[in-house]
Amino acid sequence: MQAHSLSRGSVAGLPAGSGGALPALVLVGLFFVVPVVALLLRSVTDPEPGLQNYAALFGSGTYVRVFLNTFLVAAVVTVVTILVAFPVAWMLAIMPPALGSIVFGIIILSMWTNLLTRTYAWMVLLQRTGVINRALMGLGVIDEPLPLINNLTGVTIGMVYIMLPFMILPLVGTLRAIDPMTLRAAALCGASPLQAFRRILLPLSLPGIAAGGLMVFVMSLGYFVTPALLGGTSNTMLAEMIAQTVQSLLNWGLGSAAAFVLLAVTMVLYAIQLRMVGARRLAGGL
Amino acid sequence: MRLILAGVLAGLLSATAAKGDEMVFTSWGGTTQEAQTKSWAEPFAASSGIKVLQDGPTDYGKLKAMVDAKNVTWDVVDVEMDFAIKAAKDGLLEPIDFAAVPKADLDPRFSNEHAVGSFYYSFVLAWNKGAVSGEPTSWADMFDTKKYPGKRTFYKWSAPGVIEIALLADGVPADKLYPLDLERAFKKLDTIKSEIVWWGGGAESQQLIASGEAAFGQLWNGRVFALEKDGADVGVSWNQNLTAADVLVVPKGAKNKDSAMKFLAAATSPTGQAKFAEASGYAPINTKAKAEMPADVVKGLPDAHVDGQINLDMNYWAEHRDEIATRWYAWQTK
Repeated sequence: MQAHSLSRGSVAGLPAGSGGALPALVLVGLFFVVPVVALLLRSVTDPEPGLQNYAALFGSGTYVRVFLNTFLVAAVVTVVTILVAFPVAWMLAIMPPALGSIVFGIIILSMWTNLLTRTYAWMVLLQRTGVINRALMGLGVIDEPLPLINNLTGVTIGMVYIMLPFMILPLVGTLRAIDPMTLRAAALCGASPLQAFRRILLPLSLPGIAAGGLMVFVMSLGYFVTPALLGGTSNTMLAEMIAQTVQSLLNWGLGSAAAFVLLAVTMVLYAIQLRMVGARRLAGGL
Repeated sequence: MRLILAGVLAGLLSATAAKGDEMVFTSWGGTTQEAQTKSWAEPFAASSGIKVLQDGPTDYGKLKAMVDAKNVTWDVVDVEMDFAIKAAKDGLLEPIDFAAVPKADLDPRFSNEHAVGSFYYSFVLAWNKGAVSGEPTSWADMFDTKKYPGKRTFYKWSAPGVIEIALLADGVPADKLYPLDLERAFKKLDTIKSEIVWWGGGAESQQLIASGEAAFGQLWNGRVFALEKDGADVGVSWNQNLTAADVLVVPKGAKNKDSAMKFLAAATSPTGQAKFAEASGYAPINTKAKAEMPADVVKGLPDAHVDGQINLDMNYWAEHRDEIATRWYAWQTK
């Protein structure tokens, strides 16, 4: 709603009540724009003016590797999140509304629980001496504990869990908007359930998948806590690398440059998302 | 320009500085800072009337940002000694006012112009008795996956310790450790890399060993001491224990410098050091402290294990900190 009135207001003069947005704009300017500009400037002035920080960044095998790894993790997380979220969203879309709102409530509730607590809970479940491995070994399914933590598996499980609501919510919106008659029509024309899914449901739900997927991907790129706790050092993601650069090496310039590159990539992706699904759809879907 | 930028950053990072009869002490949190609060800050506040506010955890990036911005909100900070030497060289620290801080009884290994000792500790080899059969006795055993299978845990960050352990395990004599042969150390570490679980903080190291998630580890002796106190079934080998120290520093431009110096005097006093050592299992840096401590506590200190003890070279590390850290993180992420 806000987005609509703002974009219309720019043509027809300020809409009534837009003065109320001023404190919010000042807040965003002061606490978001100013630090980002400061960060950018720092990356080209610290320790001396020039682009040496960016040269060091792209010239360093470590940073390039961590960059690539960050994208890999974000991609894996996004794909798995879509695969898990789709059935849940579909179930929510076709459920009776009363039951649906309860399930919805449960999903939202998980978002209100502290991120660190949820990540530690996964550590307890996934570690070698954790609940899952103990149970499987007790049942005689495995002899050796499965390596579920300190690797890509752990990061993926922990992050998918956190990202699921961000995928389910836009997807439910899209799926609910699909006329169920289209599926019935497909069945009447002799389409198998798989064909109906592939040729009707999937194409129609693509905007929701794209919106949710890009959101999950972008959020995953900057993730810190979960990869740091559930991943191994070979899964180090950029956010952790930046923290090390600043805290351990005291290299604010290089850290700023890395942060800025990450921000730039994120903004490009966000621009693509806006073009693909439109800001209105995005705002409505959330 | 840089000052304005740094000012914005530091302003966003920090709360308001302590004023008047207050000062801010920053340390690493957890059981260590609790012991420092009880042994130093509370008695000091009672006797001097200066209120000691606690902050943490120590963050070197933040410290530098504060000093750069000339907006320093920390008055005394507990840091690792190699960082202190480097930071002093970079002009980030106030010199210690030894007119206010009595120097005569301080262990000269852990004090210099810009820092006084906070406590000193040893890295020791600890293991979960339920997860290990036999008794590992040297760092070489931690690299012997045939004789001692299981995960090993080491300190995650680039800091004195793990490199030296790898070299000792590879047969480098203790007196030939420096200059560090990084190539050789990483090659040795490569042989067990897939078996390593890293710990990032003291509580994590305790959890890993106590649960058996890692069978052995390189731990701070104070953390093993706390595990034993809690009744955990852990074994410990002091052979080749590696000493390092935390020191207390005053960041350049600290607002309550005089109070900070008085605090340092109290923290490094025999009584302050004895109380802290008793609470934490770390060793005092005041040579008179042991006289004030119970005999059984003295027995558990690194001081009681000087046989085969190796002092990590803080000056070497201060000089090569960045270079080693760059290689370290590159190796880790590979």
